[in-house]
Amino acid sequence: MNGKMRGKTIVNVCITLFFAVSVLLPIISMFTRITPASVSGLIHSPQFSAALKNSLLTSLTSTVISMALALAAAWCIERTGVKCKSILKIIFILPMLIPSISHAFGLVTLFGSNGILTNLLRLKSGIYGFAGIVTGSVMYSFPVAFLMFDSILYYEDGLPYRAADVLGISKFNQFTAITLPYLKKTLISVFFAIFTLTITDYGVPLLIGAKTVTLSVLMYNKAVGMLDYGTGSAIGVVLLVPAVAAFLADMLNPDNGQNSFIAEQVQPKKSMGRDIISSVFCVILSICVFLPILAFCVIVLNTKYPINTTLTFAHIQNTLSRGAGRYLVNSLIYSLGTGLLGTAVAFICSYMTSRVKGRFSKGLHLLSLTSMAIPGMVLGLSYVIFFSKSGFYGTMAIIFLVNSIHFFASPYLMMYNTLSKVNENLESVGVCLGVSRIRIIFDVILPKVRHTMFEMFGYFFVNSMMTISAVSFLAPPAPKPVALMINQFEAQLLMESAAFVSLMILAVNLLLKGIVQLAEKRLSREKD
Amino acid sequence: MDLFVNKKLEVTDICKSFGSQEVLRGVSFDVFDGEFLSLLGPSGCGKTTLLRILIGLLDPDSGKIAKDGENITSARPDKRGMGIVFQNYALFENMTVLGNVEYALKKKKSTKSDARTRALEMLEVVGLSEHSNKMPKQLSGGQQQRVAIARTLALKPDIVLFDEPMSALDVDTRLSMRRELKRLQQQFGTTMIYVTHDQEEAFALSDRIMILDKGDISQLDTPENICAHPANDYVRTFVLDNLKAKVDSLARFTRSIANER
Repeated sequence: MNGKMRGKTIVNVCITLFFAVSVLLPIISMFTRITPASVSGLIHSPQFSAALKNSLLTSLTSTVISMALALAAAWCIERTGVKCKSILKIIFILPMLIPSISHAFGLVTLFGSNGILTNLLRLKSGIYGFAGIVTGSVMYSFPVAFLMFDSILYYEDGLPYRAADVLGISKFNQFTAITLPYLKKTLISVFFAIFTLTITDYGVPLLIGAKTVTLSVLMYNKAVGMLDYGTGSAIGVVLLVPAVAAFLADMLNPDNGQNSFIAEQVQPKKSMGRDIISSVFCVILSICVFLPILAFCVIVLNTKYPINTTLTFAHIQNTLSRGAGRYLVNSLIYSLGTGLLGTAVAFICSYMTSRVKGRFSKGLHLLSLTSMAIPGMVLGLSYVIFFSKSGFYGTMAIIFLVNSIHFFASPYLMMYNTLSKVNENLESVGVCLGVSRIRIIFDVILPKVRHTMFEMFGYFFVNSMMTISAVSFLAPPAPKPVALMINQFEAQLLMESAAFVSLMILAVNLLLKGIVQLAEKRLSREKD
Repeated sequence: MDLFVNKKLEVTDICKSFGSQEVLRGVSFDVFDGEFLSLLGPSGCGKTTLLRILIGLLDPDSGKIAKDGENITSARPDKRGMGIVFQNYALFENMTVLGNVEYALKKKKSTKSDARTRALEMLEVVGLSEHSNKMPKQLSGGQQQRVAIARTLALKPDIVLFDEPMSALDVDTRLSMRRELKRLQQQFGTTMIYVTHDQEEAFALSDRIMILDKGDISQLDTPENICAHPANDYVRTFVLDNLKAKVDSLARFTRSIANER
């Protein structure tokens, strides 16, 4: 075996071992906990059928609403003359920077039994249960759907529409003959993505679900509350079904309708009426996004809203004295560790799949995408089962690993696409000039893909700051991240503290996003 | 120096398959010292695969490659005394023009000042001295290709391989690059092996042309002999008829201009 082959084999073996330990073995060990008795017990339990029904109903409803709102918002941005489009885009994706549980908490703050708007508008509080889960899930999943729709509409070629106009084809026929076929594949992808996101989410139903128990909450109660790993694992398998279906739908649907070549962008024609309606819609959506954040600020900075509206920082001090600062540091360490580990592993894997040909590359590509199909809660439970007797359990490193795997697929794809576009002969040139592949990676490839590296790091960091799914199984015994404090404070009726924690997470994520943007801008300037 | 005297490269019975697809079927030929040999054929005929095997980026399934009598079939690409210039330049975009040329020299343990001197020399040879501090993307396609050539020649290879180096260039730049290549070959006496699918380019540049068809050599001869004695129908159709069509269209164009006047 020559040096080149030896190096490749060593990397392949390391990657295989990494995925075996971090994905395959934990999942397999979770499956081994499932017994016929636990499956039968689960199927026949009224709790399960109710949870399944609740999960399906809430997820389907929120998916449909989220998709409709996101498509409308993306259409307003890309197909109308509304003003301040870039600001609106930032506002629409702002909810991605706070945990799902914060969305639910925002709803409780606004519409709960003693909520700000409940009191102000003298509403009957009906936000708990089905309505709350659906509203929270919509708020949480809307940005994801919006980004997918916005991207597909932005990249739509305008030429077919111009040709259709010239041929005198009606707007309705243009919509059915051009727009719908173009959007069909994306609609399927978005549907599966949002359905999976909402059915596997645990933050929203935990906080606002009340008696409406969903599968994810039932799984948590069984596995963590009652240490019934058998039933928890069986529910985990049920939660895998939509995620695997989404994954398969995406794999069988690789072309998302995006053109590699756009003759001309679709230019919206002038229409004042349409623009006014669109602007009103966008403003209402923006208010909906800002309302919970505004509510958090109000209750944090008022002594006791609405009874005593004197400005105070006592709630902040109180929250910090209850350990929020320490938990924030834990979260920052988790995010930093996950960012570094995840970015490094995702880069190595995407390099091996995009620039080193062979059967292993194809298998690794599939394996890298598979992590997309494993919900965080399933991953968390499988880690408890697999690692609980090892020294690794209870350390911060296990959170780095579980988060890196949980959020692996998107950053991996980002780098895979970037590396696929980098000149394919750079390494060959290096080899012929007597420069090793590793040197070329460090001296030439990495400087070229720095931009994507920053984006990957940002993705891992932001998501690790917010996640509560896998970590809720592993922390404790691992040090708790700050996102888990939201539920804890809310349960203790320390609403101001829960609100402040949500704001802290939002602030850190905004700061990180700002730093990444600045770094990217600086890089672009250097490039020019 | 007389051509076709000293064998520089002896290629014997090279075979290569990718899965069930046979790309090269026992290709054998010699390349002479100082020769300009073109590998001509349509896409998929195996010419780029052959070039990659010659430099060591691909291993042949069987066969032997000897350079100056020494078997180099299993030698590392950088130990073969060959250089390669790719179609898409493959420049290091984060380095200046000078940085690109001196990069490998520095890694080869030359002293920094030696590397700098050699790199500047090569940039002068290809006429890019005044662009040495520019970034590659500030240069035109032709200039970028010259940087790639300077980077390859800086390591003083005995043989330089070109993988369709001009297919991304416009017609005018191609013509000037052809002249440039011939000048460089005469100046350094380097053996050059040039892959192209452009008949005109092959006939304009080469001492000999190897015409490949589905992994086999259809004919290997001087341009004059290929014109006079095409080995088979494939050579006649793919090479001569296409060339003739170009000549006819040029003749029609010349006549129309003459008539206008």
